[in-house]
Amino acid sequence: MKQQECVALLLAGGQGSRLGGLTQNRAKPAVSFCGKYRIIDFGLSNCTYSNINTVGVLIQYKPFLLNSYIGLGSAWDLDNPFSGGVHILPPFLGNSEGSWYNGTANAVFQNYEFINFYNPKYVIILSGDHVYKMDYNLMLKFHKEKNSEITIATIPVPQEETSRFGILTADEEARVTDFQEKPLQSKSNLASIGVYIFNWATLKQALIEDDEDFHSDNDFGKNIIPQQLQDGTKVYAYKFQGYWRDVGTIESYYHANMESLSAGHFLNVFDPKFRIFSNEDTLPPHFMGSSAEIENSLVCNGCIVHGTVINSILAPGVYIGKGVYIKDSILLPYVKVRDGSIINKTIVGEKAEVLSQCIIGAEGSHASDQEGITVVEDYHIISEGSVIEAGMNV
Amino acid sequence: MPNAIGIIYANSSTDNLQGLALRRPIAAIPFGGRYRILDFALSSMVNSGIRTIGVVTSQPYRTILDHLGAGKAWFLDRKDGGLFILPGVMHSLAGDGHTFCVKDLRENLHYLQKDFADNVIISHGDQIYNMDFKDALNAHNDTNAEVTLIYKECHTLGDPIHERVIKMNEGEKVSGILDKKVSDSGTLVQPHFTNMLIIRRQLLVDIVEQYGSFGCRDLVDIVASNLEVLRVYGWPTCSVIGTIRTVKDYFDRSMDLLGWEVREKLWLGENQIHTIIVDNPPTRYTSQAKVSHSLIASGCYIAGEVVNSIIFRGVIVEQGCKIEDSIILPKCHIHALAKTCYAILDKSVSVNAENVFRGSLNHPLVVLNTAVS
Repeated sequence: MKQQECVALLLAGGQGSRLGGLTQNRAKPAVSFCGKYRIIDFGLSNCTYSNINTVGVLIQYKPFLLNSYIGLGSAWDLDNPFSGGVHILPPFLGNSEGSWYNGTANAVFQNYEFINFYNPKYVIILSGDHVYKMDYNLMLKFHKEKNSEITIATIPVPQEETSRFGILTADEEARVTDFQEKPLQSKSNLASIGVYIFNWATLKQALIEDDEDFHSDNDFGKNIIPQQLQDGTKVYAYKFQGYWRDVGTIESYYHANMESLSAGHFLNVFDPKFRIFSNEDTLPPHFMGSSAEIENSLVCNGCIVHGTVINSILAPGVYIGKGVYIKDSILLPYVKVRDGSIINKTIVGEKAEVLSQCIIGAEGSHASDQEGITVVEDYHIISEGSVIEAGMNV
Repeated sequence: MPNAIGIIYANSSTDNLQGLALRRPIAAIPFGGRYRILDFALSSMVNSGIRTIGVVTSQPYRTILDHLGAGKAWFLDRKDGGLFILPGVMHSLAGDGHTFCVKDLRENLHYLQKDFADNVIISHGDQIYNMDFKDALNAHNDTNAEVTLIYKECHTLGDPIHERVIKMNEGEKVSGILDKKVSDSGTLVQPHFTNMLIIRRQLLVDIVEQYGSFGCRDLVDIVASNLEVLRVYGWPTCSVIGTIRTVKDYFDRSMDLLGWEVREKLWLGENQIHTIIVDNPPTRYTSQAKVSHSLIASGCYIAGEVVNSIIFRGVIVEQGCKIEDSIILPKCHIHALAKTCYAILDKSVSVNAENVFRGSLNHPLVVLNTAVS
């Protein structure tokens, strides 16, 4: 086993309850994104690109589909046992202790032995539910240059959105002077993007202290970072430049997907030098029937399209029947839409089926809820002729 | 697990493909949007439970070795068995008409000798099919055959696919293997040999040792001349089988994929065709795109019009283009206002703006990437 300079821990255990029907059956990192990807692809591909080959994936909520998707990590070239590879880290029992992961810091603390096994100099903590392309090496370089103990990656956000994020205030040397978790009144607009680099020694100490504090929620943002600032630890803010999206709510998930339809998109999944890998099924090319019409859309392998698709994303294996009209919608893998149905501004969950002559996302009284985005849960079958109003969750 | 190993002959080349087979064997020609022809034979064997497969290759090697790698895409990166490259001999003439040259195996006798399986399934690598060999293998064992030839009932006139027909007694015992040219039985529908057979491993070893040092002897010819001493049976298949020998074959078999029935049999059953995955992003259509009755792979950018065509991975079709009845191989770039009709564009061809490539139904135009500047 090769000594690793930096080990990554990917927090993928959250339920993502704000994604409603999309996380009924799977953990948030396993939710489909932009057609062929799943959210965790971005974190794992970033690790591969940054040459971080030891990745622990902390799981807890509905792990089966996520685990089988990650497998040995070979889809991301992370199946090299010589340099670590992917490790799935579920909660476990010991002789006298053991419990469910109780907060992000607790989850890492419980996997103390995993990090000690590799005994790295640095630990990078990632969250598995953001969509972004990032070279962690640049951040690590910054961390070393500043002789930092904790480095937090940040992006500037609009002032009116600061209450959704952890907001940092930094001096001109980029040293963090203040940290507020989801403040109502913020002093700055630098938001943490949930990527932290710790010196392992610092993290070890912080986790032990946090564990002994019975009042702590054992959360990185709420407890560890403020406590470390108070203790005078050297905390620096790294300014990340590039594409980053939080996809934690139905609205943000919908918009992040739809953004990929606009030309010159930031994420640039087409960049051959920084590819996003995914563990896809080998499906045949998609088929466009004689009656198909398509406009400004993304279509994946295995789709069969006989109807009209406008401003939409079709994930692998989607079937669109004759006379179907799809607009401003996201159809997740293996969705079937039978003849004559109309779908407007809707996220249709994996393997859901819309039988013929349905109208989904019809204008109605719910239109103001979640910006009028309708969500159909995974595996749901919508019976023939149903009308579902915009903004509903079914 | 079936008691058999596989051999695929992926070494045939030809001049009848107008250069598509110039730098690659026929088996390595891209087919069906994201595959290579070889994928079909390879996947059929893997899906039949075969875990040890040898691929006979010859010069030029690069494409086929590049494609196969360690066989991971077909789950053939095994400790026990897996994928074996069997370098064949150099043939003096391209496309000299051999089906299974025994000399190619002589250099690779070790592959046959070291295994423990009783049978070897041999298939040609230049045909398109999705078949389960398990039933044929069971029949082979039930009849205690030494060789089982897989055949398909075909019209002698209408179906131009295979070169040999077989004659059988009752009980499917083979009494004759004839060249289609010389067979004149008067009946229209005849059992055509599909270039797939099952043979006892030990018998194959004996044949290779005995005949391998003579010029290029064809395994099927050797079987044909020993029908009296060997127990040779036929086994019928009704799978879709498309053999690629000429440009017209390639064009027609490709266009067959636009029909639901062929796609269903080839692609949409429970047995998938496996191929290497390159993780392309989804295909992007702009507001100007118009696409009908076409197959389109991933990673493309489509801003023009595509009708009755097959578009491979990573192709760019700019605004105002019209792609009609054409096959566009990976990474081609069709610049604005260009047109193609009955054309086959080889890999990475760049069509300049407003250029027109036009072939005809019976003579599709092949454009190689050396042909356009």
